[in-house]
Amino acid sequence: MTDVVQAPIPMPRMAWLARLKGAPVIPLVILGTVVFCAVAGGLVAPFDPNDADLDAAFQPPFWAKEGSWSHPLGTDNLGRDILSRIIAGCRVSVIVSLYAIAFSGAIGALVGMISGYFGGRVDQVIMRLVEIQMSIPSIALALLLAAALQPGLGTVVVVIVFTYWTWYARIIRGEVLSLKTRDYVAFARVAGVSTPVILLRHLLPNIMNTLLVLATLQVGQVIIFEASLSFLGLGIQQPDVSWGLMLSDARQYISNAWWAITMPGIAIMLTCLAANLFGDWLRDRLDPRLRQM
Amino acid sequence: MLVLDQVSKHYGAVKAVDGVSLTVPEGQTLALVGESGCGKTTLAKLILMLEKPTTGRILFDGQDLAQMSRSQLKGYRRQVQAVFQDPYASLNPRLRVASIVAEPILAHERPDRASLKKRVEELLDHVGLPASAASLFPHEFSGGQRQRIAIARALALRPRLMVLDEPVSALDVSIRAQVLNLLADIQQEFSLTYLVIAHDLALVEHFSTQTAVAYLGRIVEHGATEDVFGAPSHPYTRALLEAVPQPDPDHVLPDAALLGEIASALDPPSGCHFHPRCPVAVPICPRERPAEVNAPGAGHTAACHLLAAARPLEHAASSP
Amino acid sequence: MTALAPVLAIEGLKTYIHLKRGVVRAVDGVDLTVGAGETLGLVGESGSGKSMTGLSILRLLPKGAGKIVAGSIRLDGEELTTLPEKVLARDVRGRRVAMIAQDPMTSLNPVFSIGDQVSGPFRYHGGLPRQEARAAAIDVLQRVRIPSPEKRLGDYPHQFSGGQRQRIVTAMAIGRGPRLLIADEPTTALDVTIQAQMIALLRRLQQESGAGIILITHDLGVAASLCNRIAVMYAGRIVETGPVREVFRNPAHPYTRALLAAIPKLGSRGRRLVAIPGQPPSLIDPPAGCRFAARCPLKVSACDAYPQTTAVGPNHSVACWRAGEAV
Repeated sequence: MTDVVQAPIPMPRMAWLARLKGAPVIPLVILGTVVFCAVAGGLVAPFDPNDADLDAAFQPPFWAKEGSWSHPLGTDNLGRDILSRIIAGCRVSVIVSLYAIAFSGAIGALVGMISGYFGGRVDQVIMRLVEIQMSIPSIALALLLAAALQPGLGTVVVVIVFTYWTWYARIIRGEVLSLKTRDYVAFARVAGVSTPVILLRHLLPNIMNTLLVLATLQVGQVIIFEASLSFLGLGIQQPDVSWGLMLSDARQYISNAWWAITMPGIAIMLTCLAANLFGDWLRDRLDPRLRQM
Repeated sequence: MLVLDQVSKHYGAVKAVDGVSLTVPEGQTLALVGESGCGKTTLAKLILMLEKPTTGRILFDGQDLAQMSRSQLKGYRRQVQAVFQDPYASLNPRLRVASIVAEPILAHERPDRASLKKRVEELLDHVGLPASAASLFPHEFSGGQRQRIAIARALALRPRLMVLDEPVSALDVSIRAQVLNLLADIQQEFSLTYLVIAHDLALVEHFSTQTAVAYLGRIVEHGATEDVFGAPSHPYTRALLEAVPQPDPDHVLPDAALLGEIASALDPPSGCHFHPRCPVAVPICPRERPAEVNAPGAGHTAACHLLAAARPLEHAASSP
Repeated sequence: MTALAPVLAIEGLKTYIHLKRGVVRAVDGVDLTVGAGETLGLVGESGSGKSMTGLSILRLLPKGAGKIVAGSIRLDGEELTTLPEKVLARDVRGRRVAMIAQDPMTSLNPVFSIGDQVSGPFRYHGGLPRQEARAAAIDVLQRVRIPSPEKRLGDYPHQFSGGQRQRIVTAMAIGRGPRLLIADEPTTALDVTIQAQMIALLRRLQQESGAGIILITHDLGVAASLCNRIAVMYAGRIVETGPVREVFRNPAHPYTRALLAAIPKLGSRGRRLVAIPGQPPSLIDPPAGCRFAARCPLKVSACDAYPQTTAVGPNHSVACWRAGEAV
């Protein structure tokens, strides 16, 4: 050929872990602890979470006058160890987050991609559906679903997926609307590449960052949602342990055992805060355009 | 090979393309020039079937695109490829060069790994890139190299027609000549027909064999490049040529180089779209759309009332 | 143009940009002068340092990353590099040195009317009362050929065409009678016929105002039609400078010659373009010697050291070891 072109300089590929450089440490530690407790909670918890010991009921945390190190965060009305129950509650939070996010993300992304890519009538219909869905109060929907199905972990996941897929769908649709005008998508169409291949090869990889950021930011909301449902008695049922359920149980004794309601509350708050801070960092890192979310 | 017959494309009230008839002859390079709003990019999209014309027909080897069956369309896709302006936007940043170049092939064939790899390497070699480029990502290349990758990809299916949409205008001056020479070489080697969309008149004169000048959705002049540049017959073409700054300090740009602004495509002037800016407009210009009449040179036409007045017979012959 | 005391004199300017990947030597030892009423064309490709030179004068470098590390910039004899930021912002930017950027929308605020934006500086910095500021705005819009400006003061930027917007930006730039106008690719975003109008306007302003103009452009045609003098930049340095006629008729640096041979010209149909092989060097770790050497057809062993600037004609100098040789 006519001219010599210099060989390009290869750039070192970043190891996946190296990308976490600069991530906020404290949120990562908190989230790591929650996940660890969910997986190996039984090994670290000092007591069985459902081990009632009425003699030890209403023990305050260790720093209070009557507290002791045998129940560092105190006990509840049945004498169950609060620390052990919080550790056990991690499992529900993590499982619900994983399923709810996986399903709402997948459904939302698929619908959003189809809506954005095809446009026209398809888009109109889907977006109207999304708007209708968004105008239904999610607690009312939860009550309805819980009545129709059985309250429990599965119902919690279904309710959350039902509420949140629209959030993904709208954002992914917007993303795809701009992606589909890219020249490489135009070229793929010109070259006769089939639509499913275009969606999978050209659009999906380019919305992965957005999906990841949305998923991380959703963790906090899912945990609170689960807690609210369980608190209302529509979610997790005894003998399973959930932070929301702990709040609900402790509510009646709030005046004489403040710790029983405060400790799970702090667990919820810290986990949500950690998830949101990590999500913020990830968003700034991967996709600063999403900042308005 | 490719014939446009009274093609129009409307977006709501905007007539982006307004009754364009053009022929792209086999083996030639037809350049479509004009300023913003002239419809040249929309026309490229129509030919690439990224958009459908509102009215009119596009014929490829005598076959109407709108009437083609699925398999015929697939064949059309194989034979017509494109290179776009911005090499940063036209390559998917998440795919390696090998996947980018192989994409058109995989859309139509099921080659085995070894032969695909060999074809990709050959294509890269044709555009002057080393085989080692195949395993890298687009961001590891300069603008000129990326445009070579885009050319290799367009070449992958051995097309007959290539639509080049401003192929070098995003590149640096010292890189443009490399890419233009490359395009000229592969045209020879693969006997390609080119349709070039461009705004740079010097480039068009250098690169094309046929030139069509567009203004606000219509073709105002069309002919062999040496005729259009040697004997520009539409006042707009003349004004356009006069307005090109030349790398020559003794070349003087006319001071009032063309009065007024390009009209909005939303509300184009009546009759001949160019009449408000035309230095030689006559009373008929705002009233009637001028027909195409012959200008000096074989197949050279221009849509101007003055020309029609000077050649009344041909005008009568070509108007309905 | 007669060489009076220069409006602007830059000596040994080095502007570096600190990135994660390393230090980019964007401007690496630039000398240039601009006289009153003179238009200097700073010509080069992207990454040659031409825009960074312009931004260095106004100290509008990328925040935190860009820094002038050496050299002096004197405006009418006054050193700008040591001027406190506050003084520079108050007395120099927009007042003694004005700028026209490539995209007029970056200089115009979409939510304020043109009247507000053009008359603002007269009121708030020039201290004119409202009515007089309005009159001054109309006057300056007339000078840039905006038709019936008094009727259009209430219009917003989006109601003007691209060419008109660029002329409004020009009006804002010349409004307060700057000594130096930096025009960075002022016509690149415009259509050919609109570009010709803008070129004509800049020519007239240059004659009327007597300001020095630095025209930063990659387009040799635009440079040839507007400039008195040309400075060709390559990889952070000026490789050739001289009167426009000299540089275009007798280009002395191999890069200038190659560039002129590589662009298609009207009337040069069918001739094969002479491409410049390769691409510009990285400015993070530029070669020690002549930066064009790797692409130069005339390279000799002496090119491993950076060439002295030698005069090849009146006011025409070039940084090339083989400058004197006829080729």
